[in-house]
Amino acid sequence: MSVLRMKRKLVALVLLWQIAAPVLAQGLPDWSGVWQRVEGNGGIFDPATVEPPDGRAGSPGVRQRPPLTEAWEARYVATLALVAKDRVPDPISNCGTPAGYPRLLALPDVYEFIVRPETTWIITENGPNIMRIYTDGRDHPPTDELWPTFTGDSVGKWHEGVLSFTTVSMIGEEHTILDRSGLTLSNQAVVATSMSLTDEGLLRADLVIEDPLALSKPWNVTRHFRRMPVGTRAYDYACAENNRNPITDAGQTLTLDTEGNVIDKVIE
Amino acid sequence: MNTRFAATLAAILLIALPPIDVCAHHSSAMFDKEEVREVTATVREFQWTNPHVWIQVVITNEKAETTEWSIEGLGPNSLFRNGWRPNSFKPGDVIKIRFNPMRDGSNAGGFVGARFADGRTLGNWN
Repeated sequence: MSVLRMKRKLVALVLLWQIAAPVLAQGLPDWSGVWQRVEGNGGIFDPATVEPPDGRAGSPGVRQRPPLTEAWEARYVATLALVAKDRVPDPISNCGTPAGYPRLLALPDVYEFIVRPETTWIITENGPNIMRIYTDGRDHPPTDELWPTFTGDSVGKWHEGVLSFTTVSMIGEEHTILDRSGLTLSNQAVVATSMSLTDEGLLRADLVIEDPLALSKPWNVTRHFRRMPVGTRAYDYACAENNRNPITDAGQTLTLDTEGNVIDKVIE
Repeated sequence: MNTRFAATLAAILLIALPPIDVCAHHSSAMFDKEEVREVTATVREFQWTNPHVWIQVVITNEKAETTEWSIEGLGPNSLFRNGWRPNSFKPGDVIKIRFNPMRDGSNAGGFVGARFADGRTLGNWN
């Protein structure tokens, strides 16, 4: 090994230590690298209640069983009927808005979890989404300083390798869905999330969702992530780069040719 | 099915393959995932772009008439991690390609798999 290469390696190790030392010193876990969701099903949000068990979000006849209020169950049933006709467009298909929380825990492509003592960031390649979880002791802002946003406001704390945080002020059904079955929450939802490594090396997220409009009782959802091989990279996801699938006002997904002309023979 | 297309497809096979969802970004309901077509085609262009890659192929029928088809794949990021590269398809490549056709008979489909002249394959070619 040349002296130059040894020097470069030494510098890299020093830089890595400068980054890692504060985290390790506080007993925070190693969530470095690139991760991928374990539960798939086409992005179904609650794999524990999906019917049928191998059902994919957006497929006709596939639904979940969250503890919806009577009114939101009726709305969900009506939405499912439109899903069966492929007339429930996914907001993210328009390439303009992120998926938001808590849906961002159920996306395809890869994830990065950046852990610092004062903040943890969840970065999703798909979207992309950037979620900030403040763990520096702050509380949520007062209500007159909050407005509904895609990822809401998250504050929490670390305890023995577990990151627990609460998320409020999510924009809900106005601009987001939980998956392509058309499931939504209101902007009154509050999500309590606990994340930690399992003995098997998975990253586990346990969510308790409360919503006075949409849910009759707390809804428990668990999702897992698997670390990808060392060296795996995440990339840009520029959705509008070459989006050849615009959505009509009627909710139909079209296909364009290379010149931007509609290929579909049937347009409603 | 498009009759013009049908006439071109001496090589069409209806194959019992597990469906592949090519769409992380939008609904894939426009594709008939119960049907897989296999055709011989010539690559005109490979668009290595987000949110989906596109393989533009030209299919020639027995009357020497040609039609261009747009075959849609997943996004480049996940495909790269599964062995695809920005130059996986080159203009002029003659390939066998399998796809889920559009339900309305349009000249497009969802990518299932491809087999190159040298025997290499991408996607689902079992």
